[in-house]
Amino acid sequence: MGLRRNDRFPGRLFIVEGIDGSGKSTQLDLLHKWLVSLGYLVVFSEWNSSPIVKSTTSRGKKRRSLTPMTFSLIHAADFASRINAQIIPALEAGAIVLADRYAYTAFARDAVRGVSRDWLRRLYSFAVKPHIAFYFDVPLDESLRRILTGRPELKYYEAGLDLALSDDPYESFRLFQGKIHDEYDQIVREFNLVSIDATENLIRQQQLVREIVTPHLNGLMRDGNGGLQTALQEANLKGRYLSRGAQQGGPTG
Amino acid sequence: MTQLRYYGDPPPGITDESLPGRLVVVEGTDGVGRSTQIALLKEWLEASGYAVLNTGLRRSSLAGRGIERAKLGHTLDPITLNLFYATDFCDRMEHVIIPGLRAGMVVLTDRYVFSIIARAVVRGVNQRWIEDVFGFALVPDIIFYLDIDVDHLLPRVLSSSGFDYWESGQDFLRGHDVYKNFIRYQSRLLPQFQRLAEKHDFKVIDARRGVLDIFADLQTGISDIVAGMMNEEPPAAIHDEDEPLSMSEIMARPASNTPMN
Repeated sequence: MGLRRNDRFPGRLFIVEGIDGSGKSTQLDLLHKWLVSLGYLVVFSEWNSSPIVKSTTSRGKKRRSLTPMTFSLIHAADFASRINAQIIPALEAGAIVLADRYAYTAFARDAVRGVSRDWLRRLYSFAVKPHIAFYFDVPLDESLRRILTGRPELKYYEAGLDLALSDDPYESFRLFQGKIHDEYDQIVREFNLVSIDATENLIRQQQLVREIVTPHLNGLMRDGNGGLQTALQEANLKGRYLSRGAQQGGPTG
Repeated sequence: MTQLRYYGDPPPGITDESLPGRLVVVEGTDGVGRSTQIALLKEWLEASGYAVLNTGLRRSSLAGRGIERAKLGHTLDPITLNLFYATDFCDRMEHVIIPGLRAGMVVLTDRYVFSIIARAVVRGVNQRWIEDVFGFALVPDIIFYLDIDVDHLLPRVLSSSGFDYWESGQDFLRGHDVYKNFIRYQSRLLPQFQRLAEKHDFKVIDARRGVLDIFADLQTGISDIVAGMMNEEPPAAIHDEDEPLSMSEIMARPASNTPMN
């Protein structure tokens, strides 16, 4: 079962996927800044950030009472809330929506936790199909090196400790990420995600991302004055008291 | 023994094939008298020697509060609200219902997934989707449906809590006439319950009658389900191979030397 059609919306939906440490958020942030500088209206949506659902998710995580099923359902609720309150309205208004992680994250993670793949696809059938879905492909060892250098504290669910793969958080994280990596390999094929070599030089990756995005920008709404900065200059203002997010047009999350 | 069967794919991590308890569901629209009947059933079952566990919608420790909060804001779209309900239901199924069944209790459930499905479909949620989502739900031993029509329902609602915002469909129906909306909403909801009753083989109880007439029918139905519970052997204790058996686990094992399956 596929995702909902995207051709009734004037806007565009671009999303990034990849395991932790693949560099996807960095690339999305660079894409965001570029699009804003070109005067496009951009809305950013982050995984697990719905104001209505978030508190329930953190409650379950804190108490470690989430099972594979409730973990899956509460993340689907969070996603549904963002799809209906944020993503679809923005697409209807003709904006560009950038999402850091999408339904594919749930397909990968929840399947590793033993949830039925078929059920997950039906569960997420309310999701809008992205115009482009990037997958930042990185070898497991490289992503682990990036994440685990400096031995950061790993959270319970983040390390996949609920799967009881290992008592050691670092070993558990390695095994968990490895399984997610394998799951992504299948998802990339199934949904035709656009694979980007995440071991490449950062700048070249971003050039490639922009080349792929460019043809999708045709006919999109654009601020003719070249954005807020230009308007401010013309008014002889510096925007000193504006919040950083508004100035840079970057994600505030 | 209750065979563990699910409407769709089973949830991961539950390995039991059968459990000694019984799962009894009472379904029906708001105001039909479910909670009265459940209170009477609990008293009667306990007096008859059964351990009873009660549960109902929005009572999970995980999502109950979140739903209440979210409903106050009136900002939820139907998909999100129903996924919230699914989370709440799943949390109770895994942390309350199944442990209760494992312990050999009669689990009395005030509404099950069917109320959620009926209400969702009336609000325009795709029927196939919502039924798929709840595929992980355990098939109960028996589902009673307290069947009523709008004409008989009205006086009961008026004489108890009055018209509830959500149970009158005020969240999605037009206009501010609560009475008219209640009629409109219930007239759409009850046929959904009828559809589910046929599909899932509910035991339909005529709820237009008096409290004790309804109760007598429920007693008859439940007697068939719980009969035999007293004579069933307790299940072999599940234990970790590496851990020595505790005294209570040894005590809980059947006297005969039957191998565990």
